[in-house]
Amino acid sequence: MKSTIICKTCGAEYDVSRVRCPYCGTAYAPAEEEEYMDRLEEIREDLHRQVEKDNTQPERKRSSAIPSEVHHAQNMRRFGRKYAATEKEVNRFARSVEGLGWKAAILIVLLLGIIITTVVSSMNYADPDEDEAARRDAENHAAAYAEDADGFLERGEYTEYVSFLYAHELMNFPPEEFQRFQRVQNVAREYYECIKLMEEMILRSDDPEYFDGLDTDIRNFCMYLTGFCETLEAQKSAEKDEKYLANILDMDTELHAAMRACFSMDEEGVRELLDMSQTQKAVRIREVLRHE
Amino acid sequence: MNKKLKVILNILIVVASIVFFFCIINLILSIRYANRDVEDPAETYAGVFEYELEHRAYGEIMGDYYVRRLDAFTPEAGYEDLYRVAEYAHSAFMIMVCEEKNDPEKASLYGKKAESLRSELGAYAYTADEVDEMIGKR
Repeated sequence: MKSTIICKTCGAEYDVSRVRCPYCGTAYAPAEEEEYMDRLEEIREDLHRQVEKDNTQPERKRSSAIPSEVHHAQNMRRFGRKYAATEKEVNRFARSVEGLGWKAAILIVLLLGIIITTVVSSMNYADPDEDEAARRDAENHAAAYAEDADGFLERGEYTEYVSFLYAHELMNFPPEEFQRFQRVQNVAREYYECIKLMEEMILRSDDPEYFDGLDTDIRNFCMYLTGFCETLEAQKSAEKDEKYLANILDMDTELHAAMRACFSMDEEGVRELLDMSQTQKAVRIREVLRHE
Repeated sequence: MNKKLKVILNILIVVASIVFFFCIINLILSIRYANRDVEDPAETYAGVFEYELEHRAYGEIMGDYYVRRLDAFTPEAGYEDLYRVAEYAHSAFMIMVCEEKNDPEKASLYGKKAESLRSELGAYAYTADEVDEMIGKR
């Protein structure tokens, strides 16, 4: 027979195994205590089982089932192990790169030293480029120099004109202002060489002990004389400026006069000389100058 | 990887050190080159000029003058006598040419120039006479 109990609150009768009155909900203390003790016993048994399970299963599988204190302790242990591993890795890397910075710095300093010493050495070895300075000067004073050049041509000072152009780097690198002189300049250059060589031949040393370069001078003169005649023909017909054409013709006249005076020839003899080949010219001039 | 890098860096440092050593030597040599005693060409030429005058080699003097005038239209220090003697010779030559050409105006221009140069020749005045003699003897 089931034992019953009367509720102290509502007077209803109910089974003694119930913890609360099914009608008013009032707790029945002895049953409630018994239930509480049963639950405590269950927890204790669960804990016991869990501990046994933990000792036999891998940590990660039991982690979800263990209480937070145990979980925290496990996390701390795991963190400790990871920290130690990282520390070891960091120390190993630090040891492996130890001194690399210094070495790189030394290399950079050496490379900079090489570059600086090479640049300074090159500057010390380089001689000043006077031609470059003259070219810059010619570009800066082109207009004034063109006026001077015109002055030389007006006075008929053709050798001075050519020397002036060479000295100021205007012969080979003429600025824009000197384009108008191009044709007269070509003729003047050949004229200059001819006059220069005639002066050298006429004023050569009469000392028999002194070096005799007459044959070389004659050969060069014949070469430049041929060059003068060819240039004259080409530039005479191409020159449109009357002033410069007059200069070209004047150079031709002057060179003929110089040959007449230097080689004791008349105009007919000069024309004959000009019609000859270079070798014939040389032989003829040699005969005249050496009185052969 | 880092070990290889260290080895490569060591090799580069050794090579760079050797190159740097030669660069330093080159630098020292370049400084010595820059501060070398350069012989003054005018001083050297003075002896040649005297020798040529001694042998009446005015043709050579003219050659020297024309070569120098390619670089310097007006005489540089030490070449004044060369320029004066050669310009006198050129003027004398051109007087002869202009007379032959029948151009008295230009001949007179060169005549004045020659007179002016003759007065400036100083100790080398005798060269004007020698040049006149050689041109007259042609």
